[in-house]
Amino acid sequence: MPLALHLSELTHAWPGQAPLIHIPQLTLPQGQHLFIQGPSGCGKSTLLSLLAGVQQVQQGGCQVLGQNLSELPPIQRDRLRGEHMGVIFQQFNLLPFLDVAANALLPTRLFASRAAAASQVWGSPQAQAQALAERLGLPLSLWHQPVHQLSVGQQQRVAAVRALMGQPQLLIADEPTSALDDANQLEFLDLLLNTAEQQSASVVMVSHNARLADRFHQVYVWPTQEAA
Amino acid sequence: MKFWLSLAWQSAWSRRQALALVTVSVAVSVLILLSVQQLREDARRSFSNALSGVDLIVGPRGSATELMLYSVFQIGRPSRNMGYNGFQEIQTMPQVRWAVPIQLGDTYQGHPVLGTTATLFTEFKSQGQGLTWAQGRAFGDPQQQAAALKEVVLGAEVARRFGHQLGDQLVMTHGSGGGPEDTDHEDQPLKVVGILQATGAPIDRSVLVNLETFEAMHQGWGLGISPKALQAAQASQAATLDPKDLQPVSLSAVWVGLHNRTEVFSVRRKIESFNQDPLMAVLPGVALDELWQVVKVVENSLVLVGGLVAASAMLSVAAVLLVAMAGRRKELAIMRAMGVAPRALLGYVLLESMLVCLLGIALGEFFSLGLMWGAQDLLRVQFGVLVQPGWPSQQAWLSLAALSAVAMLASVLPAWQAYRLSLMDGLHPPAV
Repeated sequence: MPLALHLSELTHAWPGQAPLIHIPQLTLPQGQHLFIQGPSGCGKSTLLSLLAGVQQVQQGGCQVLGQNLSELPPIQRDRLRGEHMGVIFQQFNLLPFLDVAANALLPTRLFASRAAAASQVWGSPQAQAQALAERLGLPLSLWHQPVHQLSVGQQQRVAAVRALMGQPQLLIADEPTSALDDANQLEFLDLLLNTAEQQSASVVMVSHNARLADRFHQVYVWPTQEAA
Repeated sequence: MKFWLSLAWQSAWSRRQALALVTVSVAVSVLILLSVQQLREDARRSFSNALSGVDLIVGPRGSATELMLYSVFQIGRPSRNMGYNGFQEIQTMPQVRWAVPIQLGDTYQGHPVLGTTATLFTEFKSQGQGLTWAQGRAFGDPQQQAAALKEVVLGAEVARRFGHQLGDQLVMTHGSGGGPEDTDHEDQPLKVVGILQATGAPIDRSVLVNLETFEAMHQGWGLGISPKALQAAQASQAATLDPKDLQPVSLSAVWVGLHNRTEVFSVRRKIESFNQDPLMAVLPGVALDELWQVVKVVENSLVLVGGLVAASAMLSVAAVLLVAMAGRRKELAIMRAMGVAPRALLGYVLLESMLVCLLGIALGEFFSLGLMWGAQDLLRVQFGVLVQPGWPSQQAWLSLAALSAVAMLASVLPAWQAYRLSLMDGLHPPAV
């Protein structure tokens, strides 16, 4: 079975400081979801940057979607992320000068392979975007609204639609629910995980909120400072 | 590329207030630079063409530039005169096709009065075009008909400004009209017999009379007696003037046209070696070049100032975009998250600043065209400069290209900042 992630002795430290990240072993099969739980400021976001290929791996093995990130040059890591991953932030995911539809369709405009994948499965990128919007509970009446007219919850749904466009294999989510209220948090998370699963995409999500952990196949609890 | 262009445009549009202001500042600076250049070229061309057809300007020995300025452009006044016999001698030279005397010193409502001969109307060319009549005809020859002494021809601008028609009676003023000795020639009113078409040359602003008419107005003057005291005596005398006696003693200048332009140097040498009177013969082109040498410093400083204004406008574009970049770190992080490489972001921001600069440059060119269209009448009438608004000249293209290069350089600053920030921030820009 292909692996979404395979980390071994992954270590990352800022110059002159004790290691921020040390993960001896972590494996995530393709299609499964991983929850990384830890307090804020512990280095979770840096780990996501490493997995997304934005930051260079310093030490240890870091295989993402079958690619050894420590050996890929930056431009190819960017390409891997652009073609095969989706990223969701805590909030402010959307470009304020584009409307909802343009934001959702961005990945397919940026990478032809994602547009092709969307067309192959759904007929066209627009069809996939609208299907995903419907599944994530985003009314089509919002489709051509400016994004600042949307609530935070609606904006996060647009971000999820965008991340899932063009059949990515890995979704990286950094506290995607923490800007939402409690009831919305679980509903949004379930929709995100289910939709990703339907597309056989793995979700790697970091959060400080342990209540969300039971939705995931795997949970990685960030070691406390002493242990690190 | 089309996608990036539309993305850059939409991003820029969301910050349109600030960007519109810097675009306008670029446009204004380009307007200044282009207008200065256009005026410089058109002024030069108008000046050069004002003289087309005149091969030599002859006058008393002195400064060539001065001679040309007062005899052709009626700027300044002659300090000395040349003898009339010099003119007669020039007329008899076989190489000379035509020679026109120019007598200056009087004005009509501030416009110079040119005492000359009717030959001027057939031989003078401006912008390569001969003179044509809007109304009426040339003044007659006083040697044939005494009535011609009372005739005057108006340049287009003089007629337009005062609304003169054929048959109007005008009174010339001695001198420029401001000094203590400057008296009106009230005893010698002149009748308008012809009005010239506009040419763009200084002749539009001139009043033309026969050399004999000019002389008649000054009969008995120059004797060291106040004109006022002589007025009564002259009034009776004027009526009995015989045109044959009205040959002037001296002239301000003579315009000469040759049969063959290649003889210009030998003719000049001959004129300058006349015995009676130290004369100077000036090639208008050479004199103009000397003039341009003088004016060049001013011209160049104007262009330099224009260039500096333009460069500072480009820098202000860079500054505005650089400041805006702090607020766009989130935008950059979102793009990074979607797999856009830092280098592509550099290009993306570069595209925007170039868009702003090029739009400003295009707008400035448009403004300058509009300004030239709007001001061309004023420039022709007030300054005798015939502007030719149109597609930018080669020099204007060069400065536009130079400006675009500066714009490109200025655009690199914010783009480089975007590159740096996107590498530094990655997916996590500081909260703004």
